[in-house]
Amino acid sequence: MSAVESITGHLTHTLSASEPLNAPWVERGGVFWLDYPNLEVREVALAMNAVGARFITITAYERPGQDGLRLEYHWDLAGRLLGFNFALVGNSIESIYDICEAVDWIEREIHEGFNIEFTGHDYEPLLLREGNVCGVNLREEVAK
Amino acid sequence: MSYKIPMGPYHPALEEPYKLDLICEGETVTDAKLHIGFNFRGIEHLAETRNFIQVIALMERVCGICSNIHTLTLCSAMEKLTGLTPPPRAQYIRVIVAELERLHSHVLWAGIAAKLMGFKTMFMTCFEIREKVMDVLQAISGNRVNYSMNRIGGVNREIEDPQSILAMIYALEREMVKTIIPIFTTSTTARSRCAGIGVLTHAKAISCAVVGPVARASGVGQDLRKEAPYAAYGEVEFDVPVQTDGDVRARLLVRALEIMESCKILRQALTNLPSGELASGGDGSKFSFITGTATARVEAPRGEVMYSVSWKEGSRTPSRVHVRTPTFVNMPSVRYMVQGARLADTPLIQASIDPCYSCTDR
Repeated sequence: MSAVESITGHLTHTLSASEPLNAPWVERGGVFWLDYPNLEVREVALAMNAVGARFITITAYERPGQDGLRLEYHWDLAGRLLGFNFALVGNSIESIYDICEAVDWIEREIHEGFNIEFTGHDYEPLLLREGNVCGVNLREEVAK
Repeated sequence: MSYKIPMGPYHPALEEPYKLDLICEGETVTDAKLHIGFNFRGIEHLAETRNFIQVIALMERVCGICSNIHTLTLCSAMEKLTGLTPPPRAQYIRVIVAELERLHSHVLWAGIAAKLMGFKTMFMTCFEIREKVMDVLQAISGNRVNYSMNRIGGVNREIEDPQSILAMIYALEREMVKTIIPIFTTSTTARSRCAGIGVLTHAKAISCAVVGPVARASGVGQDLRKEAPYAAYGEVEFDVPVQTDGDVRARLLVRALEIMESCKILRQALTNLPSGELASGGDGSKFSFITGTATARVEAPRGEVMYSVSWKEGSRTPSRVHVRTPTFVNMPSVRYMVQGARLADTPLIQASIDPCYSCTDR
């Protein structure tokens, strides 16, 4: 069983899904994506820790129209870039800082740039220093 | 009784503005808080207003040391969206310029580290040698900082006489072997200022997900040039130096050994430079982007750089460009490196990760 397949196996347990997880890994744009709609970010983070994957980054995107925001989480497993996509309900998602220490700065940066709340993570300003700007959607502010 | 000493944002020991709030008990640092953002230029936002030619010029200016790496990563991502593959000669030229950039970055860092150790003669020696690397880059690209080498589908400039560049590389390597590496690895000054200082344990290196020489000095042998080869790295032989002590000396040794490995890569790439075109995709004025997101990673001098680029078919500008730079992930680990250190060692410890705040803040 390859390392990537072992992640899928691990997620099956951690998701406590009633059916085995059989969503295939799809390579797209240089990333191996697990396109599974019901993934939960903390369960993915635990699975990544279990297989020894290295956290890389989170990228925030505004979905077209009024569809809100989505986040892409990336980990590296033996040189292979893995990706997980999470659409946000409202502007919040659970923080994985207590599971993966390396997310600290990127969660804080996304909080400042996109006004996304990572619940369970105490914030201090990262990039922006002047005034009470923590949690402003910079794109909307620039557009004004 | 503990007290706080602010270091920065503007301080003689810092090459760029950022701030360390050091919590001290006497002369011992017990904890530190890091503040960045003083170089924030909103480059990711600006990128969304630039077309496919302008965005390359913009991202080259994210960093003044590893400018080429930024365009290499960006172009690699955009090539995935345009379906273009650079021809073999372009892949080799990309390797050559990337390794020259690693050389000048590592020698620049060695000079700064020497200055912070109080080893001023070595600082001058390093900068003299770095000038020679810059001369090679200038000979290839006509520029000393922003080389403008990369374009979508290949490179902009030819290496017309690889043999003359090769001769410069041999001369450089001789000076490295004769001067920089022996002094840094054997001198009492370097040893006394670096050994056992600013330790980042293997476990902490893993949990902080540090990259590049910082990771390799703590026993984490990751290097994208080996693990996920790009450009022509799959066709050259080299070793990935790894040290396990995790201190400033280990980071110094890793970079010193990487200088030798870069010379080894350069010799092979210049000797085996294939003939052929410099770029695919016509004259570079028109490209067809597909809708989607593409990601590329390369091993920069300071560690892994990642670009995620989103494009909508028919658009002239990207809808999103996200840059993950190595210092952004390495910098939080400085907090652990300085815990228990002497206050006087903190400038050297923070410098030992070879920080770049222009990259970090973007």
